[in-house]
Amino acid sequence: MKDRIPLAPLQKFAWYNLTVFAIAVAAYAIAVPVLAAHFHRTLAAAALPSLGMFGLCGLWGFAQFICDRRKLDERESLINQRAIMAGVALFWLVFVFSCMGVWGVCFYIRHQAMVPVALLPALVWGGFIAYTVTQSVAILVQYKRSAADDAL
Amino acid sequence: MTPSESVQLKNRIRKLRFEHGEMTQQELADRVGAARQTIIALEAGKYTPSLLLAFRLARVFGVKTEDVFQWDAD
Repeated sequence: MKDRIPLAPLQKFAWYNLTVFAIAVAAYAIAVPVLAAHFHRTLAAAALPSLGMFGLCGLWGFAQFICDRRKLDERESLINQRAIMAGVALFWLVFVFSCMGVWGVCFYIRHQAMVPVALLPALVWGGFIAYTVTQSVAILVQYKRSAADDAL
Repeated sequence: MTPSESVQLKNRIRKLRFEHGEMTQQELADRVGAARQTIIALEAGKYTPSLLLAFRLARVFGVKTEDVFQWDAD
């Protein structure tokens, strides 16, 4: 008879991160059109909900209370290390491409000598979001791959 | 260890568990200082333990490490 295997702390950590991200994206998707219509602005109206989205993502700080990563066993530590590596790799890709993309658009297309400073937080937060989401997905995928078909 | 080599590593953890008072996975995990999911992955052959964990498992069952893990080298 199969019993239900409780989620490991690292799995809870990953699901918490993904849940916070989903809530932030939903709030952003709702807030941008509402505020843009109210203030009759377009991209500028996204600034305020962006702050909200990034603020929501600040809830990721509480994930440390869900999983004490000092108490992981050897396999969980390995999963965590691989997830961090995947997150760092994707963070670097996203950060570099977004920075170069912004520079390229401003310099070659708009022929501007300066990058708007308002984009800087978005570049950093975009990379951070990419890191956290990738790390969380990598954790869950590794647990799924190593799960047995049955457990007694 | 290459994936093909890890497939050749077999273990008798589940059998030994049942032979020792039908020990549950959680009980074994607590005794060796690992998570239950790690024990599940070990029994399924989806994880190769470290030397330390292998010795701990053998000690819990009161047998040699070779009695817990078997590697069929070609």
